[in-house]
Amino acid sequence: MAKLILKYEAAVIKEVDVGAQPISIGRAPDNDLHVDNLAVSSHHARIFNDGGKLVVEDMNSLNGTFVNSQRITRATLKPGDVVSVGKHSIEVRGEAEPIPTSATPAAPKPAAPKLQETMVLDTKKRRELLAQAMAAGGTGAAATPTAEATATAAPPAPPRVRIPWLVVLEGKTDQREYPLSNRLTVIGKSSMATVRLTGWFAPKVAAQISKRDDGFYIGTGDKVPKVNGQAITQPTKLNEGDVIELGKVRLSFVFRD
Amino acid sequence: MRVDMEARTDLGRVRKNNEDNFAAVPEMGLYVLSDGMGGEAHGEVASGLAIEAIRDHCGEWSRNPELPLFGDAVANLPERANRLASAVRLANRAIYESAQKHPSQKGMGATVVAIWLDDEQMSVAHVGDSRLYRMRQGQLEQITQDHSLVAEQVRRGILTQQQADSSQMQSVLIRALGIDPEVEVDAEEHPVLPGDSLVLCSDGLNRMVSDPDIGSVLNTSLSAKEAVDRLIALANENGGEDNVTVIVVRVGGGSDGWLARLWRWLCGE
Repeated sequence: MAKLILKYEAAVIKEVDVGAQPISIGRAPDNDLHVDNLAVSSHHARIFNDGGKLVVEDMNSLNGTFVNSQRITRATLKPGDVVSVGKHSIEVRGEAEPIPTSATPAAPKPAAPKLQETMVLDTKKRRELLAQAMAAGGTGAAATPTAEATATAAPPAPPRVRIPWLVVLEGKTDQREYPLSNRLTVIGKSSMATVRLTGWFAPKVAAQISKRDDGFYIGTGDKVPKVNGQAITQPTKLNEGDVIELGKVRLSFVFRD
Repeated sequence: MRVDMEARTDLGRVRKNNEDNFAAVPEMGLYVLSDGMGGEAHGEVASGLAIEAIRDHCGEWSRNPELPLFGDAVANLPERANRLASAVRLANRAIYESAQKHPSQKGMGATVVAIWLDDEQMSVAHVGDSRLYRMRQGQLEQITQDHSLVAEQVRRGILTQQQADSSQMQSVLIRALGIDPEVEVDAEEHPVLPGDSLVLCSDGLNRMVSDPDIGSVLNTSLSAKEAVDRLIALANENGGEDNVTVIVVRVGGGSDGWLARLWRWLCGE
Protein backbone atom coordinates (compact mmCIF):
# COMPACT_ATOMS: atom_id res chain seq x y z
CA MET A 1 0.00 0.00 0.00
CA ALA A 2 1.20 3.51 -0.78
CA LYS A 3 2.22 5.58 2.21
CA LEU A 4 2.65 9.34 2.49
CA ILE A 5 5.09 10.91 4.94
CA LEU A 6 4.57 14.54 5.79
CA LYS A 7 7.82 16.27 6.78
CA TYR A 8 9.00 19.72 7.71
CA GLU A 9 12.72 19.89 6.93
CA ALA A 10 13.93 16.57 8.33
CA ALA A 11 11.21 16.20 10.95
CA VAL A 12 8.45 13.67 10.27
CA ILE A 13 5.09 15.17 11.20
CA LYS A 14 2.66 12.50 10.13
CA GLU A 15 2.33 9.29 8.11
CA VAL A 16 -0.81 8.13 6.35
CA ASP A 17 -1.70 5.16 4.19
CA VAL A 18 -3.55 5.82 0.95
CA GLY A 19 -6.62 3.62 0.87
CA ALA A 20 -9.74 3.98 -1.22
CA GLN A 21 -10.45 7.47 0.08
CA PRO A 22 -8.50 10.49 -1.17
CA ILE A 23 -6.01 12.05 1.26
CA SER A 24 -6.62 15.77 1.58
CA ILE A 25 -3.81 18.21 2.27
CA GLY A 26 -4.22 21.76 3.54
CA ARG A 27 -4.20 24.28 6.35
CA ALA A 28 -7.76 23.64 7.56
CA PRO A 29 -7.87 21.19 10.47
CA ASP A 30 -10.29 18.86 8.68
CA ASN A 31 -7.58 17.73 6.24
CA ASP A 32 -6.06 14.26 6.51
CA LEU A 33 -2.65 15.88 6.27
CA HIS A 34 -3.05 19.10 8.20
CA VAL A 35 -0.23 21.53 7.34
CA ASP A 36 -0.24 24.47 9.69
CA ASN A 37 1.52 27.06 7.55
CA LEU A 38 0.24 30.30 6.06
CA ALA A 39 1.83 29.51 2.67
CA VAL A 40 -0.54 26.54 2.39
CA SER A 41 -4.14 26.99 1.25
CA SER A 42 -6.92 25.69 3.49
CA HIS A 43 -7.67 22.88 1.00
CA HIS A 44 -4.48 22.80 -0.98
CA ALA A 45 -4.17 19.47 -2.76
CA ARG A 46 -5.18 15.85 -2.57
CA ILE A 47 -3.59 12.50 -3.31
CA PHE A 48 -5.64 9.49 -4.25
CA ASN A 49 -5.58 6.05 -5.80
CA ASP A 50 -6.88 6.38 -9.35
CA GLY A 51 -7.46 2.83 -10.50
CA GLY A 52 -4.13 1.59 -9.15
CA LYS A 53 -2.14 4.72 -9.91
CA LEU A 54 -1.30 7.24 -7.24
CA VAL A 55 -2.27 10.72 -8.37
CA VAL A 56 -1.72 14.16 -6.85
CA GLU A 57 -4.02 17.01 -7.78
CA ASP A 58 -3.63 20.66 -6.90
CA MET A 59 -6.91 22.19 -5.71
CA ASN A 60 -6.38 25.72 -7.06
CA SER A 61 -3.98 26.50 -4.25
CA LEU A 62 -2.50 29.98 -4.10
CA ASN A 63 1.14 28.96 -3.90
CA GLY A 64 1.03 25.79 -5.92
CA THR A 65 1.84 22.11 -5.51
CA PHE A 66 5.20 20.75 -6.68
CA VAL A 67 6.39 17.25 -7.55
CA ASN A 68 10.17 16.94 -7.43
CA SER A 69 10.32 20.76 -7.77
CA GLN A 70 8.05 20.90 -10.84
CA ARG A 71 4.81 22.84 -10.39
CA ILE A 72 1.88 20.61 -11.33
CA THR A 73 -1.89 20.72 -11.43
CA ARG A 74 -2.16 16.94 -11.66
CA ALA A 75 0.54 14.31 -11.76
CA THR A 76 1.02 10.58 -11.34
CA LEU A 77 3.28 9.68 -8.43
CA LYS A 78 5.77 6.86 -8.07
CA PRO A 79 7.66 5.66 -4.97
CA GLY A 80 10.36 8.12 -3.98
CA ASP A 81 8.63 11.20 -5.41
CA VAL A 82 8.47 14.25 -3.18
CA VAL A 83 5.40 16.49 -3.22
CA SER A 84 5.98 19.99 -1.84
CA VAL A 85 3.36 22.35 -0.42
CA GLY A 86 4.74 25.56 1.08
CA LYS A 87 7.81 24.58 3.08
CA HIS A 88 6.49 21.10 3.85
CA SER A 89 7.24 18.02 1.83
CA ILE A 90 5.37 14.77 1.40
CA GLU A 91 7.38 11.69 0.55
CA VAL A 92 5.77 8.87 -1.40
CA ARG A 93 6.57 5.30 -0.36
CA GLY A 94 5.18 2.12 -1.86
CA GLU A 95 2.90 1.51 -4.83
CA ALA A 96 -0.83 2.17 -4.94
CA GLU A 97 -2.89 -1.00 -4.86
CA PRO A 98 -5.17 -1.87 -7.73
CA ILE A 99 -8.73 -1.07 -6.83
CA PRO A 100 -11.10 -3.95 -7.52
CA THR A 101 -14.21 -1.84 -7.87
CA SER A 102 -14.87 0.21 -10.97
CA ALA A 103 -15.38 3.30 -8.85
CA THR A 104 -13.31 6.25 -10.00
CA PRO A 105 -12.19 8.03 -6.87
CA ALA A 106 -10.89 10.86 -9.04
CA ALA A 107 -14.30 12.45 -9.09
CA PRO A 108 -14.83 14.47 -5.94
CA LYS A 109 -17.36 12.70 -3.78
CA PRO A 110 -20.58 14.56 -3.14
CA ALA A 111 -21.08 15.15 0.56
CA ALA A 112 -23.48 12.27 1.00
CA PRO A 113 -24.17 11.68 4.67
CA LYS A 114 -22.20 8.67 5.85
CA LEU A 115 -24.10 6.29 8.07
CA GLN A 116 -21.71 7.12 10.87
CA GLU A 117 -22.72 10.76 10.73
CA THR A 118 -25.57 11.58 13.04
CA MET A 119 -28.64 12.86 11.28
CA VAL A 120 -32.04 13.98 12.40
CA LEU A 121 -35.34 13.14 10.82
CA ASP A 122 -37.82 15.94 10.48
CA THR A 123 -41.30 15.30 11.75
CA LYS A 124 -42.70 14.30 8.38
CA LYS A 125 -39.91 11.87 7.53
CA ARG A 126 -40.11 10.38 10.99
CA ARG A 127 -43.83 9.70 10.61
CA GLU A 128 -43.27 8.10 7.23
CA LEU A 129 -40.44 5.89 8.42
CA LEU A 130 -42.25 4.76 11.51
CA ALA A 131 -45.42 4.18 9.53
CA GLN A 132 -43.46 2.03 7.06
CA ALA A 133 -41.84 0.12 9.87
CA MET A 134 -45.17 -0.45 11.55
CA ALA A 135 -46.81 -1.55 8.30
CA ALA A 136 -43.93 -3.92 7.59
CA GLY A 137 -44.67 -6.11 10.54
CA GLY A 138 -44.90 -4.02 13.66
CA THR A 139 -46.41 -6.08 16.41
CA GLY A 140 -49.31 -3.95 17.46
CA ALA A 141 -50.29 -2.48 14.11
CA ALA A 142 -51.71 -5.72 12.82
CA ALA A 143 -54.45 -5.60 15.41
CA THR A 144 -55.78 -2.31 14.08
CA PRO A 145 -55.02 -2.27 10.37
CA THR A 146 -57.02 0.86 9.64
CA ALA A 147 -55.62 3.41 7.23
CA GLU A 148 -55.57 6.00 9.94
CA ALA A 149 -53.57 3.95 12.40
CA THR A 150 -50.81 3.20 9.92
CA ALA A 151 -50.74 6.69 8.47
CA THR A 152 -50.08 8.37 11.79
CA ALA A 153 -48.12 5.45 13.25
CA ALA A 154 -49.96 5.95 16.50
CA PRO A 155 -49.24 3.23 19.03
CA PRO A 156 -52.23 0.95 19.21
CA ALA A 157 -54.52 2.04 21.99
CA PRO A 158 -54.95 -0.49 24.77
CA PRO A 159 -58.44 -1.93 24.87
CA ARG A 160 -59.25 0.00 28.03
CA VAL A 161 -57.36 2.20 30.38
CA ARG A 162 -56.12 0.27 33.39
CA ILE A 163 -54.41 2.21 36.13
CA PRO A 164 -51.77 0.57 38.28
CA TRP A 165 -52.08 0.92 42.05
CA LEU A 166 -49.93 0.13 45.01
CA VAL A 167 -51.92 -1.37 47.85
CA VAL A 168 -50.32 -1.44 51.28
CA LEU A 169 -50.41 -4.93 52.79
CA GLU A 170 -48.32 -4.18 55.85
CA GLY A 171 -46.27 -1.35 57.39
CA LYS A 172 -46.51 2.33 58.24
CA THR A 173 -47.50 4.60 55.35
CA ASP A 174 -49.55 7.77 55.08
CA GLN A 175 -52.27 6.14 52.94
CA ARG A 176 -53.45 2.63 52.30
CA GLU A 177 -53.50 2.80 48.49
CA TYR A 178 -51.77 4.87 45.83
CA PRO A 179 -52.52 5.23 42.11
CA LEU A 180 -49.31 5.38 40.04
CA SER A 181 -50.08 8.41 37.91
CA ASN A 182 -46.64 9.94 37.46
CA ARG A 183 -43.66 8.87 35.39
CA LEU A 184 -41.71 8.44 38.59
CA THR A 185 -43.11 7.33 41.95
CA VAL A 186 -40.82 7.58 44.94
CA ILE A 187 -41.40 5.42 48.01
CA GLY A 188 -39.76 6.66 51.22
CA LYS A 189 -39.50 9.51 53.66
CA SER A 190 -38.20 11.99 51.07
CA SER A 191 -40.18 15.14 50.38
CA MET A 192 -40.42 13.84 46.81
CA ALA A 193 -42.10 10.64 47.93
CA THR A 194 -45.61 9.88 46.74
CA VAL A 195 -45.78 6.79 48.90
CA ARG A 196 -44.79 8.34 52.22
CA LEU A 197 -43.28 5.95 54.74
CA THR A 198 -43.84 7.13 58.30
CA GLY A 199 -41.84 4.64 60.36
CA TRP A 200 -39.07 6.07 62.55
CA PHE A 201 -36.25 4.41 60.73
CA ALA A 202 -37.78 4.51 57.28
CA PRO A 203 -35.27 5.34 54.53
CA LYS A 204 -35.47 8.54 52.53
CA VAL A 205 -35.87 6.68 49.28
CA ALA A 206 -36.73 3.05 49.83
CA ALA A 207 -37.41 2.41 46.15
CA GLN A 208 -38.70 4.13 43.08
CA ILE A 209 -41.00 3.01 40.33
CA SER A 210 -40.59 4.45 36.84
CA LYS A 211 -43.06 4.27 34.04
CA ARG A 212 -41.54 3.18 30.75
CA ASP A 213 -43.22 2.58 27.44
CA ASP A 214 -43.66 -1.09 28.11
CA GLY A 215 -44.62 -1.01 31.77
CA PHE A 216 -43.62 -0.08 35.30
CA TYR A 217 -40.15 -0.82 36.64
CA ILE A 218 -39.01 -0.83 40.24
CA GLY A 219 -35.48 0.33 41.03
CA THR A 220 -33.36 0.52 44.15
CA GLY A 221 -33.21 3.28 46.73
CA ASP A 222 -31.27 3.32 50.02
CA LYS A 223 -31.88 -0.40 50.22
CA VAL A 224 -32.47 -3.05 47.64
CA PRO A 225 -36.19 -3.90 47.46
CA LYS A 226 -37.52 -7.43 47.16
CA VAL A 227 -40.10 -8.44 44.61
CA ASN A 228 -41.96 -11.67 45.47
CA GLY A 229 -39.26 -12.46 48.01
CA GLN A 230 -36.31 -11.95 45.62
CA ALA A 231 -33.94 -9.00 46.03
CA ILE A 232 -33.78 -7.26 42.67
CA THR A 233 -30.45 -6.99 40.86
CA GLN A 234 -31.58 -4.49 38.25
CA PRO A 235 -34.66 -2.37 37.51
CA THR A 236 -37.38 -4.97 37.39
CA LYS A 237 -40.66 -4.90 35.52
CA LEU A 238 -43.66 -5.23 37.77
CA ASN A 239 -46.45 -7.65 36.95
CA GLU A 240 -50.00 -7.76 38.23
CA GLY A 241 -50.07 -9.14 41.74
CA ASP A 242 -46.36 -8.72 42.50
CA VAL A 243 -45.55 -8.13 46.16
CA ILE A 244 -42.91 -5.52 46.93
CA GLU A 245 -41.04 -5.68 50.24
CA LEU A 246 -39.20 -2.67 51.63
CA GLY A 247 -38.02 -3.54 55.10
CA LYS A 248 -41.20 -3.87 57.15
CA VAL A 249 -43.44 -2.43 54.46
CA ARG A 250 -45.15 -4.70 51.98
CA LEU A 251 -47.02 -3.43 48.96
CA SER A 252 -48.96 -5.16 46.26
CA PHE A 253 -48.92 -3.99 42.63
CA VAL A 254 -52.32 -4.29 40.97
CA PHE A 255 -54.19 -2.89 37.97
CA ARG A 256 -57.66 -1.46 38.20
CA ASP A 257 -59.98 -0.19 35.49
CA MET B 1 -23.06 18.68 49.29
CA ARG B 2 -19.73 16.99 48.80
CA VAL B 3 -19.31 15.68 45.30
CA ASP B 4 -16.36 14.14 43.55
CA MET B 5 -16.63 14.96 39.89
CA GLU B 6 -14.63 14.79 36.69
CA ALA B 7 -15.57 15.89 33.18
CA ARG B 8 -13.56 15.34 30.05
CA THR B 9 -13.86 15.09 26.30
CA ASP B 10 -11.69 13.11 23.91
CA LEU B 11 -11.40 13.20 20.12
CA GLY B 12 -11.53 9.43 19.78
CA ARG B 13 -9.45 7.62 17.18
CA VAL B 14 -11.31 8.27 13.94
CA ARG B 15 -12.84 11.72 13.91
CA LYS B 16 -10.76 14.73 12.95
CA ASN B 17 -12.59 17.28 15.03
CA ASN B 18 -14.41 17.18 18.31
CA GLU B 19 -18.05 18.13 18.05
CA ASP B 20 -18.84 17.51 21.72
CA ASN B 21 -18.96 20.23 24.35
CA PHE B 22 -19.69 20.22 28.05
CA ALA B 23 -19.95 22.43 31.12
CA ALA B 24 -19.41 21.36 34.72
CA VAL B 25 -20.34 23.95 37.34
CA PRO B 26 -20.00 22.11 40.68
CA GLU B 27 -20.77 25.21 42.75
CA MET B 28 -24.23 25.27 41.14
CA GLY B 29 -24.56 21.50 40.84
CA LEU B 30 -25.09 21.98 37.09
CA TYR B 31 -23.63 19.54 34.54
CA VAL B 32 -24.39 19.77 30.83
CA LEU B 33 -23.14 17.73 27.87
CA SER B 34 -23.91 18.25 24.19
CA ASP B 35 -22.95 16.35 21.04
CA GLY B 36 -23.09 18.45 17.88
CA MET B 37 -23.73 17.42 14.31
CA GLY B 38 -23.43 19.10 10.93
CA GLY B 39 -20.68 19.29 8.34
CA GLU B 40 -17.43 21.23 8.44
CA ALA B 41 -16.94 22.67 11.90
CA HIS B 42 -20.60 23.38 12.56
CA GLY B 43 -21.25 20.49 14.92
CA GLU B 44 -19.08 22.08 17.58
CA VAL B 45 -20.71 25.46 16.92
CA ALA B 46 -24.10 23.92 17.65
CA SER B 47 -23.00 22.07 20.79
CA GLY B 48 -21.13 25.17 21.98
CA LEU B 49 -24.24 27.33 21.57
CA ALA B 50 -26.27 24.76 23.51
CA ILE B 51 -23.87 24.67 26.45
CA GLU B 52 -23.58 28.45 26.60
CA ALA B 53 -27.34 29.05 26.44
CA ILE B 54 -28.08 26.52 29.19
CA ARG B 55 -25.33 27.64 31.54
CA ASP B 56 -26.24 31.30 31.09
CA HIS B 57 -29.97 30.84 31.56
CA CYS B 58 -29.57 28.72 34.70
CA GLY B 59 -26.93 31.07 36.11
CA GLU B 60 -29.08 34.10 35.47
CA TRP B 61 -32.03 32.49 37.25
CA SER B 62 -29.86 31.86 40.30
CA ARG B 63 -29.23 35.59 40.47
CA ASN B 64 -32.70 36.70 39.39
CA PRO B 65 -35.54 34.41 40.52
CA GLU B 66 -38.01 36.58 38.58
CA LEU B 67 -36.47 35.57 35.24
CA PRO B 68 -39.31 34.46 32.95
CA LEU B 69 -39.46 30.90 31.67
CA PHE B 70 -38.96 30.26 27.98
CA GLY B 71 -41.91 28.10 26.99
CA ASP B 72 -44.63 26.68 29.20
CA ALA B 73 -44.08 25.26 32.67
CA VAL B 74 -45.05 21.64 33.27
CA ALA B 75 -47.48 21.53 36.19
CA ASN B 76 -46.17 18.59 38.22
CA LEU B 77 -42.47 19.42 37.85
CA PRO B 78 -40.55 21.44 40.44
CA GLU B 79 -39.40 24.94 39.55
CA ARG B 80 -35.78 23.98 38.93
CA ALA B 81 -36.66 21.19 36.50
CA ASN B 82 -38.88 23.62 34.62
CA ARG B 83 -36.01 26.08 34.58
CA LEU B 84 -33.67 23.48 33.11
CA ALA B 85 -36.23 22.59 30.42
CA SER B 86 -36.61 26.29 29.68
CA ALA B 87 -32.84 26.57 29.23
CA VAL B 88 -32.85 23.63 26.80
CA ARG B 89 -35.65 25.23 24.76
CA LEU B 90 -33.59 28.43 24.63
CA ALA B 91 -30.57 26.44 23.45
CA ASN B 92 -32.73 24.98 20.68
CA ARG B 93 -33.77 28.45 19.60
CA ALA B 94 -30.21 29.77 19.70
CA ILE B 95 -28.94 27.01 17.36
CA TYR B 96 -31.96 27.25 15.10
CA GLU B 97 -31.62 31.01 14.71
CA SER B 98 -27.89 30.86 14.11
CA ALA B 99 -28.43 28.26 11.36
CA GLN B 100 -31.13 30.45 9.78
CA LYS B 101 -28.82 33.45 9.80
CA HIS B 102 -25.76 31.65 8.42
CA PRO B 103 -26.59 29.52 5.37
CA SER B 104 -23.35 27.55 5.78
CA GLN B 105 -24.62 26.25 9.14
CA LYS B 106 -27.82 24.84 7.65
CA GLY B 107 -28.60 21.44 9.10
CA MET B 108 -26.44 21.80 12.19
CA GLY B 109 -27.91 20.47 15.39
CA ALA B 110 -27.02 19.01 18.76
CA THR B 111 -28.11 16.62 21.44
CA VAL B 112 -28.13 17.62 25.08
CA VAL B 113 -28.31 15.98 28.48
CA ALA B 114 -28.25 18.16 31.60
CA ILE B 115 -28.57 17.57 35.33
CA TRP B 116 -28.96 20.13 38.08
CA LEU B 117 -28.70 18.66 41.54
CA ASP B 118 -28.51 19.33 45.25
CA ASP B 119 -28.21 17.01 48.28
CA GLU B 120 -31.57 15.42 47.81
CA GLN B 121 -32.82 15.76 44.26
CA MET B 122 -31.78 16.27 40.72
CA SER B 123 -33.53 17.83 37.75
CA VAL B 124 -32.83 16.10 34.45
CA ALA B 125 -33.49 17.39 30.94
CA HIS B 126 -32.53 15.85 27.63
CA VAL B 127 -33.04 15.82 23.89
CA GLY B 128 -31.36 13.34 21.53
CA ASP B 129 -29.20 10.31 22.29
CA SER B 130 -26.69 11.57 24.84
CA ARG B 131 -27.38 9.66 28.02
CA LEU B 132 -27.64 9.89 31.77
CA TYR B 133 -26.87 6.75 33.75
CA ARG B 134 -27.16 6.31 37.50
CA MET B 135 -25.17 3.80 39.49
CA ARG B 136 -26.87 2.99 42.79
CA GLN B 137 -26.19 0.09 45.11
CA GLY B 138 -23.97 -1.42 42.44
CA GLN B 139 -26.73 -1.34 39.83
CA LEU B 140 -26.44 0.72 36.65
CA GLU B 141 -29.61 2.20 35.25
CA GLN B 142 -30.09 4.29 32.12
CA ILE B 143 -32.26 7.20 33.22
CA THR B 144 -32.80 8.95 29.89
CA GLN B 145 -34.46 7.30 26.92
CA ASP B 146 -32.73 7.94 23.59
CA HIS B 147 -34.62 9.96 21.02
CA SER B 148 -33.28 7.79 18.23
CA LEU B 149 -35.15 5.92 15.55
CA VAL B 150 -33.93 2.51 16.74
CA ALA B 151 -34.78 3.23 20.39
CA GLU B 152 -38.26 4.30 19.30
CA GLN B 153 -38.62 1.11 17.28
CA VAL B 154 -37.58 -0.95 20.31
CA ARG B 155 -40.13 0.89 22.46
CA ARG B 156 -42.81 0.14 19.89
CA GLY B 157 -41.83 -3.50 19.70
CA ILE B 158 -40.67 -3.33 16.07
CA LEU B 159 -37.03 -4.17 16.82
CA THR B 160 -35.44 -6.21 19.57
CA GLN B 161 -32.63 -4.62 21.56
CA GLN B 162 -30.15 -6.93 19.81
CA GLN B 163 -31.36 -5.83 16.38
CA ALA B 164 -31.13 -2.21 17.48
CA ASP B 165 -27.56 -2.65 18.73
CA SER B 166 -26.40 -3.90 15.34
CA SER B 167 -28.57 -1.58 13.25
CA GLN B 168 -27.02 0.75 10.71
CA MET B 169 -29.68 3.30 11.60
CA GLN B 170 -28.29 3.95 15.08
CA SER B 171 -27.18 7.44 14.13
CA VAL B 172 -30.64 8.54 13.09
CA LEU B 173 -32.23 10.79 15.69
CA ILE B 174 -35.88 11.67 15.88
CA ARG B 175 -35.31 14.70 18.09
CA ALA B 176 -32.41 17.15 18.35
CA LEU B 177 -31.75 20.78 19.14
CA GLY B 178 -31.63 23.35 16.34
CA ILE B 179 -33.68 21.54 13.71
CA ASP B 180 -37.08 23.15 14.30
CA PRO B 181 -38.01 26.44 16.02
CA GLU B 182 -39.63 24.45 18.84
CA VAL B 183 -38.44 21.27 20.51
CA GLU B 184 -40.03 18.84 22.94
CA VAL B 185 -37.79 18.47 25.99
CA ASP B 186 -37.93 15.46 28.32
CA ALA B 187 -37.62 16.79 31.86
CA GLU B 188 -37.86 14.87 35.13
CA GLU B 189 -37.04 15.13 38.80
CA HIS B 190 -35.28 12.27 40.61
CA PRO B 191 -34.22 11.70 44.20
CA VAL B 192 -30.48 11.61 44.86
CA LEU B 193 -28.95 9.38 47.53
CA PRO B 194 -25.50 9.46 49.12
CA GLY B 195 -23.35 7.00 47.20
CA ASP B 196 -25.11 7.53 43.86
CA SER B 197 -22.85 8.00 40.85
CA LEU B 198 -24.22 9.87 37.87
CA VAL B 199 -22.74 9.52 34.41
CA LEU B 200 -23.48 11.84 31.52
CA CYS B 201 -22.04 10.70 28.20
CA SER B 202 -22.12 11.21 24.46
CA ASP B 203 -22.87 8.22 22.24
CA GLY B 204 -19.12 7.85 21.62
CA LEU B 205 -19.06 6.11 25.00
CA ASN B 206 -22.15 3.93 25.01
CA ARG B 207 -21.69 2.74 21.40
CA MET B 208 -18.16 1.59 22.16
CA VAL B 209 -18.58 0.34 25.74
CA SER B 210 -21.43 -1.91 26.86
CA ASP B 211 -23.59 -1.06 29.85
CA PRO B 212 -22.18 -3.93 31.96
CA ASP B 213 -18.65 -2.65 31.25
CA ILE B 214 -19.62 0.91 32.18
CA GLY B 215 -21.11 -0.51 35.38
CA SER B 216 -18.04 -2.49 36.30
CA VAL B 217 -15.73 0.49 35.75
CA LEU B 218 -17.91 2.60 38.05
CA ASN B 219 -18.06 -0.14 40.66
CA THR B 220 -14.31 -0.60 40.75
CA SER B 221 -13.09 2.99 40.42
CA LEU B 222 -11.99 4.83 43.54
CA SER B 223 -12.64 8.31 42.20
CA ALA B 224 -14.57 10.14 39.51
CA LYS B 225 -11.27 10.90 37.79
CA GLU B 226 -10.27 7.26 37.68
CA ALA B 227 -13.70 6.31 36.31
CA VAL B 228 -13.52 8.94 33.54
CA ASP B 229 -9.94 7.93 32.63
CA ARG B 230 -10.89 4.29 32.34
CA LEU B 231 -14.15 4.86 30.45
CA ILE B 232 -12.46 7.04 27.82
CA ALA B 233 -9.55 4.60 27.50
CA LEU B 234 -12.01 1.73 27.05
CA ALA B 235 -13.98 3.59 24.35
CA ASN B 236 -10.73 4.19 22.46
CA GLU B 237 -9.52 0.62 22.91
CA ASN B 238 -12.80 -0.59 21.41
CA GLY B 239 -12.35 1.56 18.30
CA GLY B 240 -12.92 5.14 19.42
CA GLU B 241 -15.14 5.72 16.42
CA ASP B 242 -16.63 8.94 17.71
CA ASN B 243 -15.78 11.76 20.08
CA VAL B 244 -16.16 10.60 23.67
CA THR B 245 -17.33 12.91 26.43
CA VAL B 246 -17.94 11.66 29.95
CA ILE B 247 -18.98 13.47 33.12
CA VAL B 248 -18.98 11.44 36.33
CA VAL B 249 -20.49 12.94 39.49
CA ARG B 250 -20.13 10.88 42.67
CA VAL B 251 -22.42 12.06 45.41
CA GLY B 252 -20.74 12.07 48.82
CA GLY B 253 -21.08 8.63 50.35
CA GLY B 254 -22.85 9.41 53.61
CA SER B 255 -19.84 11.30 54.93
CA ASP B 256 -21.87 14.46 55.27
CA GLY B 257 -24.24 13.29 57.98
CA TRP B 258 -24.49 15.16 61.28
CA LEU B 259 -21.83 12.97 62.84
CA ALA B 260 -19.34 13.74 60.08
CA ARG B 261 -20.13 17.42 60.29
CA LEU B 262 -19.73 17.39 64.07
CA TRP B 263 -16.42 15.57 63.72
CA ARG B 264 -15.14 18.09 61.19
CA TRP B 265 -16.29 20.92 63.47
CA LEU B 266 -14.48 19.37 66.41
CA CYS B 267 -11.39 19.00 64.27
CA GLY B 268 -11.68 22.66 63.35
CA GLU B 269 -12.00 22.03 59.62
